[in-house]
Amino acid sequence: MPPREGTYGLLAEFDTPSDLVRAAQRARQDGWRRMDCYTPYPVEEAAEAIGFHRNNVPLLTLIGGLMGAAAMFLMETWISVLAYPLNIGGRPTYSWPAFIVPAYEWTILWAGLSAAFGMFALNGLPALYHPLFNAPNFRDGATTDKFFLCLEALDPKFDLVETRAYLTSFQPASVVEVEY
Amino acid sequence: MIAAVFSVIAAGLAFADGSIDHLLRAWLLGLMLTFGWAVGGLALLMVQYVSGGKWGLLLRRPLEAMSRTLPLVFVYWLVIAINVKKLYLWASPALVDDGVRRGLISPDQLEVIEHAIGFKRPMLNPNMFWLVGLFCFTVWFLYTRKLYLLGSQRDMDSAANTPFWIKRFENISGPGILVYSLTMSAAVIYWVMSLDPTWYSSVYGLLFLVGQGYSVLALSIIISISLSKAEPFKTILRQTEQHDLGKFTFAFVMLNIYLAFSQFLIIWSGNLPEEIPWYLDRIRGHWGIIITLDFMFHWLIPFTLLLSRDIKRNKRRLVRVCQWMVFAKAFDLFWLIEPNFKDAARNLHFSWGILEYVAVPVAMVAFWVAFFCNRLKTRPLVQTNDPHVAEILEAEHAHA
Repeated sequence: MPPREGTYGLLAEFDTPSDLVRAAQRARQDGWRRMDCYTPYPVEEAAEAIGFHRNNVPLLTLIGGLMGAAAMFLMETWISVLAYPLNIGGRPTYSWPAFIVPAYEWTILWAGLSAAFGMFALNGLPALYHPLFNAPNFRDGATTDKFFLCLEALDPKFDLVETRAYLTSFQPASVVEVEY
Repeated sequence: MIAAVFSVIAAGLAFADGSIDHLLRAWLLGLMLTFGWAVGGLALLMVQYVSGGKWGLLLRRPLEAMSRTLPLVFVYWLVIAINVKKLYLWASPALVDDGVRRGLISPDQLEVIEHAIGFKRPMLNPNMFWLVGLFCFTVWFLYTRKLYLLGSQRDMDSAANTPFWIKRFENISGPGILVYSLTMSAAVIYWVMSLDPTWYSSVYGLLFLVGQGYSVLALSIIISISLSKAEPFKTILRQTEQHDLGKFTFAFVMLNIYLAFSQFLIIWSGNLPEEIPWYLDRIRGHWGIIITLDFMFHWLIPFTLLLSRDIKRNKRRLVRVCQWMVFAKAFDLFWLIEPNFKDAARNLHFSWGILEYVAVPVAMVAFWVAFFCNRLKTRPLVQTNDPHVAEILEAEHAHA
């Protein structure tokens, strides 16, 4: 893929999460879709404000959990019944109550790993580069005490001059143009 | 109204069956269910005083009202205590003889039963049954009374004294939770476990303890959502708190199956003649159907439904799940109680009497709910002079 060039978007910086959420809500009402919020800690309201209601992490977790349970249960069954049948205290080789505990542990393990790695994958991580890191105030603020709203150039409503004026109307601390 | 109708049905069924045996067994089920709410409510009330948190502020008064239904539960218990000789093998040699005569108790079993009853005589005798029962009820009553009176005093006091009251409640509730777990274990061992005097399991008290958490939380959610049709719960039961309560309930659903299955797994692995008959009584002779249904009703259905975030945040659906959980609890108690009796062990069969398990508990629960509502009305639903109340009065996203 050839390197993308030009403007990635306009980044507005806010001092409080409330200002950010208010701006994001307005922007969504006004028809913006290609936008994102960046905060130093999770602000659920900001996610809701930009119309981000659902993700597939719960589904991945469920699938992972079920796969873990099935894998372990089948493995135990295979070992005890087919591969290496042992007479343990006269119990049947297919002793399902005893298989439950490891199967349960694997459900938890796989569900947990699927949730963590699924989250990374859906987030597009690991990412070696993101255009926003070109903005110096983002580098300093996004992980400490600043709240950012970025309107992206991919949105059909985007216009370098008008969008800057639009963002300024929310009275942010600053608006900067971000290059790819 | 429901109570009256079902009482009549219960009486009718007793006639149809020609004995009050099943009426008493079903009565025991009703007792365990309402006892779970009253004393489990007391326990959760103490937990919330110790732990703090917004859910506690929300449920404080409903839980207090639950704990204050104790007098009714005591009356329910008296019926069992008076009829102790009709229910418990250890209380009456006539019951054992009768079982032998009808061929329900084999000579081998008789030997085990006689041995167990003889050995456990100092603990399992009618006098001790009364003594322990009265002692436990006294302890619970004192705690209920103390927490109620202090709660009233706190309402009169100014908000400035809150730190003092928090400490005060903590100091009572902390040891109270310990006392509760001991007395509650003693009570369920006497009332339910000793129906089969030959069996033992060290996790039994804990199983009921978790079971009480399960049913108390389910009921609390039903109550708070019903109350949320009007103020003040309309404002204070926010989606966040409802979601939290749903998660809390989910934890108990999980813990419940965890303990129940551990007990089964350990006894199944040991396969010892002292322990395994308790499960065989509950699996063989068509009881396998009941235990399978119990597993689905009591765990699988609530578990899968409560996994969903949407159901936990939807008032109508969450109430449905919780109602189901209350039913499942009753179903589980049926599976725990009925096979203790020799005519039903390893032999699930229909008799008019078995329908008492529907009629009697429904009537008892209906009376209990009426009494509970009456208790709930005697106090304001929210404690207004707690500085934390302001936090749950805020609209949900105000802090964003």
